[in-house]
Amino acid sequence: MSGPGDIVITGCGAVCAAGRSVAEIWQAVQQGRTAVGDIASWDASRWPARRAAEVRGVDNRTLVADRKLHKLISRTDLFGLYAADQAIANSGLAAYRDALPPEQQARFNDRTGVFAGSGGGNYRSNYDFFPLLTAAGGDLQTFGRELSSHVNPMWLLQILPNNVVCHVGIRHNFKGTNACITNQAVGGLLAVAEAAAALRAGEADRAVAVGHDTPCEPETVLHYHRLGLMSADTVRPFDRDRDGTVFGEGAAAVVLETRGAAQARQARVLGEVLGAGCVTEAAGIVEVRPDGDGLSRATSLALAEAGLPPEAVGMVVAHGNGTRASDASEAAALHRVFGDALPPVTAFKWAFGHLIAASGVLDLVLVLAALQAGAVPGIASLRNPDPALAPLPVSVAPQRPRSRVALVLCRGFGAMNVAMMVRAGDTTPMG
Amino acid sequence: MNSSQRRVAITGLGLVTPVGNDVPTTWAALVAGRSGVAQIRTFDARGFPVRIGAEVKGFEAEALIPDRKLLKFATRSHRFALAAAEEALRDAGVRPCPATGARWGLSVGAGMMGVAFEELESVHACCGRTGEFQPDALVSPDFPADPVAFCRSQTNAGLALLARHFGIRGYATAVHTACASGGQALGTALKVMRRGVVDFMLAGGYDSMLNPVGLSAFCLLGALSTDNETPERASRPFDATRNGFVLGEGAGFLVLEDWAAARRRGARIYAELAGDGNSLSSYRITDSHPSGDGPIQAMQQALADAGLTPAQVDYVNAHGTSTPMNDRSECAALRAVFGPHLDRLVVSSTKSCTGHLIAAAGAVEAAVCALAIRDGIAPVNANHTQPDPDCNVPLVLGVSQRRPLRVVLSNSLGFGGSNSSLVFRHPEEVTCR
Repeated sequence: MSGPGDIVITGCGAVCAAGRSVAEIWQAVQQGRTAVGDIASWDASRWPARRAAEVRGVDNRTLVADRKLHKLISRTDLFGLYAADQAIANSGLAAYRDALPPEQQARFNDRTGVFAGSGGGNYRSNYDFFPLLTAAGGDLQTFGRELSSHVNPMWLLQILPNNVVCHVGIRHNFKGTNACITNQAVGGLLAVAEAAAALRAGEADRAVAVGHDTPCEPETVLHYHRLGLMSADTVRPFDRDRDGTVFGEGAAAVVLETRGAAQARQARVLGEVLGAGCVTEAAGIVEVRPDGDGLSRATSLALAEAGLPPEAVGMVVAHGNGTRASDASEAAALHRVFGDALPPVTAFKWAFGHLIAASGVLDLVLVLAALQAGAVPGIASLRNPDPALAPLPVSVAPQRPRSRVALVLCRGFGAMNVAMMVRAGDTTPMG
Repeated sequence: MNSSQRRVAITGLGLVTPVGNDVPTTWAALVAGRSGVAQIRTFDARGFPVRIGAEVKGFEAEALIPDRKLLKFATRSHRFALAAAEEALRDAGVRPCPATGARWGLSVGAGMMGVAFEELESVHACCGRTGEFQPDALVSPDFPADPVAFCRSQTNAGLALLARHFGIRGYATAVHTACASGGQALGTALKVMRRGVVDFMLAGGYDSMLNPVGLSAFCLLGALSTDNETPERASRPFDATRNGFVLGEGAGFLVLEDWAAARRRGARIYAELAGDGNSLSSYRITDSHPSGDGPIQAMQQALADAGLTPAQVDYVNAHGTSTPMNDRSECAALRAVFGPHLDRLVVSSTKSCTGHLIAAAGAVEAAVCALAIRDGIAPVNANHTQPDPDCNVPLVLGVSQRRPLRVVLSNSLGFGGSNSSLVFRHPEEVTCR
């Protein structure tokens, strides 16, 4: 089938602790190198949880050259813009547009969408009010009077969750349909799913979709730890001794186009979004159901939209965040969907931590590389696959995909589950 | 519109707003042009440059949501959301049950503030007394780490509470494009309905930034009206003397369902949610283009999506924030889209009474459009006394206007340049296929 029904991926970009491009990150994953280490952005030596995969040695000017922006937006936004710029450059989209006659450029821009999954609120930015709170000494009238002497007048702009949508638009002059999804860890992959749906519905011809987040900050680490979600060491997806997740940070982005739009400009096709499913289990804010109900339903919806049976799935990139409950229920969902005919399963968070809102998009760009290479990378941190989750085809050693189709799974607070089916394209996303 | 496209009916409404804690009270106030703006009472704002706001008054979530454990996990804006959603479901006469929950979806425009001021104060007292944040104090035994407060602060906590409380197990999303959030949440709901993955959507928005940090944020930007002595008149969209918006809070929710199914069950249909348009201004972060570029495309797309022409529109519920730039730019956009027909329709901004509900605004105004269609009343653009030549659009002035409203359009234009337009159609205008 051709026309808007087919949604292809023509550009990829990523940055995280494991590298500053899809190629670098893919190499780290293939070589079994982890970027998880001791937290360095504050002195966490006395902390009960002190591990993360932080992006080091990348200053803000490396991420975004425009220094004016550094005062207007947060580091999570800079990551998002960096990944988006990379994906757009990788796709050749802006260069193609700029060569069009002016009257066609306006139409091109109006038909180009921008979608982001944003981590949204954080604790850190509120600390900008600490000097004011100290000066006010508990008196709100003083707080109000002294306000402008202590807080940056642009403070609200810095914390807007939709900064990446706004500035991808301004930087590239894209003006089409858009969304900023603030749905915790599924936000990024849901942004890709919504972009694909918008293209399928004819609302745009192409779209940039980005996930970005910087979850690693003291209060969040503390609360995750208290809830039993933070590992003392590293992410060991589906391991008998897994003890939680660790945070990563960064962003990943894709450019999606209708098959027709991509063909019109003879774009390289890196992959195809075949279908997606999104459901909640209605279990609460941090709770998950043990039976895998939500994830199996999301997967069934993604298979149905792709028009494919479970046997067509060549490999699974699991969410695999390394927490006791999520991994167990994820295995239960895989058993529900695939019975005893499970394709090879892997998960990537051991390499660069959990990027929360960016996690699903990062997994997506990496699975395109994996399918292209014909290799399911191993889980390097795996020591003893949890027998309680067996049979589950996970291993330290690489496996071979059964086909050129992959299933990407993503879960988040709110008992959210998103599944996406993708097929490998003709070329690698590293080009 | 695509002729095979699924038609979507609005069958339930719920509102918690500065002018009323339910639909009948809110709508009566808007028709009468009663302002919800007053001196801020929920905290001591006397030292702030702006001391007025549009607060929700006398609100108790417990009456509608008798689940004290759930409410512990709810911020002020989540409580507004739960109450408005409950009212909307009761109004629709249908609600999710274990057998149907997976065929219900949820789409919300969620406010951006998850941390209550008292929680920030307690972190400051423990880790920030010098003015600098001291992370190590967090792991001292004195720090009152509250897991419930952490859960409340998550970006999708409101979504999670709504799903859990009402048993919604299908598609679920939370969006935030600042002041366009509520409109985009409704637009997303319409698209999800059309994709056929659900049969019902509970869709809406909720927000409360009326706290010391939220008020500070807008004061610092100089975005708010400083008419502290005349709060009821402070929000006057399109008036020549307008000087900023009034910060409000609240929630609005709508129940959407398949048109034919709603007819079959004998549901009362307020209106068809007929079209969605969505664009990005890509101009500046807080300003829209003076020419109206951006909102123009959103309105045109929404009308095209509904299969309608500009000449069929009877009433526009404008974004109309009462800031100098927004109102001028929106009027330029209206002129560009409607041309000479603009003088045959009417325009008003109900923010003249409610203030600006930020992420909730578009959803509340969608409910207002449904009520306007039901009663054939275009609500008044209150507080307008001095015409602005740059805002030369036919406003509903003085009193609300009774007139048949067949097609209504609502705009929501956000910081960051996201623009959302929604089109609503009178049920009698819908020919059943």
